[in-house]
Amino acid sequence: MTSRGSPSRFLTSVLHNGVGRYVRQLQRLQLLFSPTAADARGARQFVEEVALDFARQHPDVVLYVRPCSNPTPVLVAEYLNGTVREELITSKTSEEILQLATKLAGQSGLDIIRIRKPFHTDNPSIQGQWHPLTNKPSILTVRGPRLQAQ
Amino acid sequence: MAARLLVRASQQLLAGAGVGAGAGAGTGRVTFKTAPRQVKKRWLRAYLEQERLKAPPQRRSEKPNWDYHAEIQAFSHRLHENFNLDLLKSAFVNSCYIESEEARRRELGLDKETIALNLQDNSKLAEEGMTFSRSYLMQCFEGAYPELPAEGIGALVDFLTSQELVSYVAQNLSIQDLTLCKEFPAPPDVLQRTFFAVIGALLGSSGPEKTGIFVRDFFIPQLIGKDLFEIWQVVNPMGLLVEELTKRNISSPEPRITRQLGVSTVLPVYFVGLYCNKKIIAEGPGETLLAAEEEAARVALRKLYGYTENRRPWDYSKPKQGLAAEKAISSS
Repeated sequence: MTSRGSPSRFLTSVLHNGVGRYVRQLQRLQLLFSPTAADARGARQFVEEVALDFARQHPDVVLYVRPCSNPTPVLVAEYLNGTVREELITSKTSEEILQLATKLAGQSGLDIIRIRKPFHTDNPSIQGQWHPLTNKPSILTVRGPRLQAQ
Repeated sequence: MAARLLVRASQQLLAGAGVGAGAGAGTGRVTFKTAPRQVKKRWLRAYLEQERLKAPPQRRSEKPNWDYHAEIQAFSHRLHENFNLDLLKSAFVNSCYIESEEARRRELGLDKETIALNLQDNSKLAEEGMTFSRSYLMQCFEGAYPELPAEGIGALVDFLTSQELVSYVAQNLSIQDLTLCKEFPAPPDVLQRTFFAVIGALLGSSGPEKTGIFVRDFFIPQLIGKDLFEIWQVVNPMGLLVEELTKRNISSPEPRITRQLGVSTVLPVYFVGLYCNKKIIAEGPGETLLAAEEEAARVALRKLYGYTENRRPWDYSKPKQGLAAEKAISSS
């Protein structure tokens, strides 16, 4: 797909996050896994070894752990702006799951699409937009005889 | 994966054998049925997905995995504040929720003692939070823009505490999930009330200093990229400018065309400069002479009030009261 056809957005943050104070945008993390399946082995290990530490390090994220007969183990992340992102953790080790969860905790929940510019400013130009009279003298300026074109 | 394929293949084989040989393969099929693999047909999966998309939106609290206490705790950690959790919980209770819940219990035929919920609604907290945040913002703007008249400050405060803006902030802090309300999705007035009640709860648990910083951190960034006259509707900027200049004992402004272009076309542009005592105070463009004069007056007002686009950004650093106190102690 060409760059014009693919969806894109500008660099933004939710509620000017970080200007006043930083609010973590991940509000809820659900870990759904099967208690018996082989491909959920890493997920079970994550629950046994890492999940408590993760929850302690991120007190602003509610971590739900639910064993169910779901055929695929999945990590469901819910963000403050209402985005829900599901990440499959089939046959991943607990370190990989921890890495994924930490990555989800740092994201803002905005769409992950091409960002048009890597910077943003509210005042794109200091001297204002160009117009035909930019850098031209005012008509009221009195010109002396020496300044007139010969 | 290979093992699963094998199992499925053998099931199909056995099924085929069952059809062909009647009850002969019955015992074999029973052994496999003890661990059945749920295979939903493709058409069924498509149908279920379609039904899921058609279903009306549900409250988050009605979906699986919802622990209200944990959510409230995480909310207070998320905002980096130490809330009194009881106060915070009562800040999320709206009066409409209490009414609807009691009516629901009455319909179920419970006796009167169990009907009463014994919950306090957030109207008092919301009132407190509203008055505090308004007075704090007023004080902030008076300190930051001393030249701005009371009307302008009032307009800025009204804009920041308006229903539209407060409910937008509340939605992006996911207050609509936590608030207990009759209607779904929560209407903007409920969101506004709840957010002010949260501020009131913070005022009750951490004191006015921390609450002031909270109000500053969540409201004042909303002014970024907004123009003063976008917020404060001034009908006659020229009249206001003349008033302001007479207050400062400056002669009234004299508008002059400084530049013009394409006057005989459909898209002319005029630049009008305002001169006081033969000195230019502002210059503004416009499509007509009147619009250009008005724009120049607005530019002049922005300069007078110190609310230009290139003003110094708001200082969000922590107030250094500890340092100030130390200095006061050491100097005395």
